[in-house]
Amino acid sequence: MTTSDTPVVQITGLGKTYPGAREPALSGVSLSVARGEIVVLLGLSGSGKSTLLRHINGLETPTAGSVVSIGQDVRALKGRELRTLRGRIGFIFQQFELVGPLTVLENVLTGSLSTLRGPRVGTWSYPRESRLKALAHLERVGLLERAYQRADTLSGGQQQRVAIARALMQDPEILLADEPVASLDPESSSQVMSLIREIAAERGLTVVCSLHQVELALGWGDRVVGLRAGEVVLDTPTDDLSKDKVMEIYGRVATTTGELAAIEQELAEVREQLLSEELRKGAHEHELERDLDRGPDSEKS
Amino acid sequence: MTTVQEDRAASVAERVAGIRRPRPRTSTIVSYAVIIGIAVLGVASFLSLDYSVRNIETTFGNISRFVASATPLEWPGWEVTATVQSDGTKTFVTEWAGWDPIRHVGGSIVTTLALVVAGTSLAALLSIPVAYGAARNTSPHPLVMVLCRGIGVVARAIPDVALVVFFAFLWFGAGTLAAIVGVGLHSVGMISKMMADSIEQIDEGPRLAVKATGGSTTQQFWAGVVPQALPAWIAVTLHRADINLRGTVILGFVGVAGLGYDLDDALHAGPSGMRRVIPIVLVIIALCIVFEILSSSIRARLLGVRPTGRGLGDTLVRAAQRRTARTAPAVATGPRADAIAERNQRIESALHRPWDRSRVTTTIWIWLGVAAIAFAYFYADPDVIRLVTGWRFDQVSNEALDRAVWPPNFGSRDWADVVGAVVTTLTVAFAATLMAAIISAIVGPLSARNVAPNGWVRNFFRGVALFVRAVPDLVVAILFILATGFGPQAAALALGVGGVGLLGKLIGDSMEEVPNGPERALAAAGGSRPQVFFSSTVPMSVPSLVSHLMYLLEQNVRAATLLGIVGGGGIGFLLMNALQGRHFDQVVAFLLVIIVMVVVIESVSILIRRALK
Repeated sequence: MTTSDTPVVQITGLGKTYPGAREPALSGVSLSVARGEIVVLLGLSGSGKSTLLRHINGLETPTAGSVVSIGQDVRALKGRELRTLRGRIGFIFQQFELVGPLTVLENVLTGSLSTLRGPRVGTWSYPRESRLKALAHLERVGLLERAYQRADTLSGGQQQRVAIARALMQDPEILLADEPVASLDPESSSQVMSLIREIAAERGLTVVCSLHQVELALGWGDRVVGLRAGEVVLDTPTDDLSKDKVMEIYGRVATTTGELAAIEQELAEVREQLLSEELRKGAHEHELERDLDRGPDSEKS
Repeated sequence: MTTVQEDRAASVAERVAGIRRPRPRTSTIVSYAVIIGIAVLGVASFLSLDYSVRNIETTFGNISRFVASATPLEWPGWEVTATVQSDGTKTFVTEWAGWDPIRHVGGSIVTTLALVVAGTSLAALLSIPVAYGAARNTSPHPLVMVLCRGIGVVARAIPDVALVVFFAFLWFGAGTLAAIVGVGLHSVGMISKMMADSIEQIDEGPRLAVKATGGSTTQQFWAGVVPQALPAWIAVTLHRADINLRGTVILGFVGVAGLGYDLDDALHAGPSGMRRVIPIVLVIIALCIVFEILSSSIRARLLGVRPTGRGLGDTLVRAAQRRTARTAPAVATGPRADAIAERNQRIESALHRPWDRSRVTTTIWIWLGVAAIAFAYFYADPDVIRLVTGWRFDQVSNEALDRAVWPPNFGSRDWADVVGAVVTTLTVAFAATLMAAIISAIVGPLSARNVAPNGWVRNFFRGVALFVRAVPDLVVAILFILATGFGPQAAALALGVGGVGLLGKLIGDSMEEVPNGPERALAAAGGSRPQVFFSSTVPMSVPSLVSHLMYLLEQNVRAATLLGIVGGGGIGFLLMNALQGRHFDQVVAFLLVIIVMVVVIESVSILIRRALK
């Protein structure tokens, strides 16, 4: 086991160029994540966030540099060993990626495949303890009643919560989330984001989550890592980070008009949110004060 | 003023003359080349088939002679006795003959269905590994992919009749085993191909998710791929069962028990047998239609059509649900200390899946399917042990019996005969495709909602296509060939009319799928319905029309080979001769020729369809 001092993810000089691509997807990325840290990868689409995440559990092979996850060199692993490592790392996808025709319960159970041998078809083919465990995880994400529904009959937010239960089924040490709320409405988004945060706190998980909304990232993570065109352009704890500073960096790193337009859009969204927050503040000042008193505590716990 | 305008007109004309015309797109060239090619070859084939007045007269003579000998119909359960009167005419007396013949027909129906179900389910099972290896996204290695696709092509090219006869000798005296394995192996071709296609079309995301949790390749396949491809697999299997049912008629001609055998038997049983022919054919047609309705309604259900909930089954399910609701444990609501216990209780009770409607329906369908397959094997009772022991190699390799498989040779035929036979088969296929195309050019568009002048016309022509499709063309073609006593001409005619069911429907569908914006624009500009049709609908649907035409041609080549077996001439006829003489070396040689022919046609078709994209 690694001690708390050694980083749980250690990436050094990582480079990735897809075959046939002119520009590298990642170049010279170094990053180390401590146990229990909540890291947000921030960047526009195409900045290399997903590629970076997929290197951590070996879904991609680097063309340069090295990735060490939970003390193991991912590049050196193969077959059974690689699958065991993947079993210790949960992964949450933007599009949930549940197997639609299967029941919710069986989808959660697929999270335990790396600990089982051979193919499994049907809920009954998993051991009883696994089934109990899967149901407990479903209960945790508030979807126990949906256990035997087809996964594709659920709403997007519910599907993402099932995907979280599937990741929990792995008893992960690291949780990777690739734009987990990009396909969700605002309400489901905040539900899912706070669920991930709560679960991370309950289990002392290390979380690496990619996002493209500055606002969301600042309020949620302990540390923000900004990516642009496959390079790290920002790496700082969120404590001493004001939104303006991030936005400034975010704006500076954009070069093409398309990127700028996307940032403009985001700025407008942030402004709108700030405005509505201020309106709310005015209306329920006392309530807000109470919330603020409680807020940081509940987040730290 | 006028001079200015004239000047401008002149300069525009000058500029127009200077415009370089861009090269037409490949898909356009290919489309028109295919249409012209099929038209030219079709006309040439049609002419070479020699539908002369004298031929037609002879055909009509043959038909009336056949009808005369086949009437009055002798339905199972009755007996027709003919007495020759003093003036030379015959009078017929129809008498009730008891239940035995009816029971016999019932037995034949069950036998036929059992063989179809057993053979098709075997194929469905064997198709899983073949499709796994043939699909681009699951294949473990490019070589495996080539191998599995090759298995599919060869399995499709070898008619099941040939396999059945060969296995009948290899496992001499093993009952229905040869028929089941023959049908099964042949069907692997189609089922594995369509299943591989549907595996290639799945959403890759869930599979990646299973991979990310640490699942092995096998686990990824079963957890991430199979659930998505399962409905398609069942649908294709049912569709194939449909086709195999029609095919058992031909199997009867080589001695496989069932309705086909009864038909063959009746054809060789003199005048009293001839009177049984049409009733048997009608029974076969009815069986095919009923089976098709059943299989297509199951397929529709698989594609997500939900029951309305008024039937007996739903009532039962609701009753069962009520009972579960009553017996469900009451959830205790206690003080906070009990919260954990209560949570565990809830989880524990969720361990057993409630018998809700979807579970009951799924369970019923699964057990019905299992029961049908089990019954089929039990009833057909193949001698399965022979699969592993008692292979009679002496029967297929004994040179003394002239039944050696190797080396393949054409027997008394030379290359010219064989090439001539292949040409005959292709002639039938091209002439049939042309005939179907011409009739479908009328039926197809008029059955499209956006082309037909009104709903009545549309429904009428849709009905025509549906009716032709419902009639098992292979069965009708066989009857037709028997009735007219003619080979290729009758085969081409039967396939040509039968093809309207497929092509008419496909044309109608693809014309309805054309984006209707341009049509509305032309109609808004004052175009008449025919003008809109020729200026917008047709140009926009040409690629899919050509693709359908090639698909029909492919089908017709296969069908023309099969019809040759029952007397339609061509390479199928040579194959049947060799089969009847048990000259397996010749059988192998002709099969190789058929495989090459089918592979060439399929490759050309694939190339053309790829160019159309």
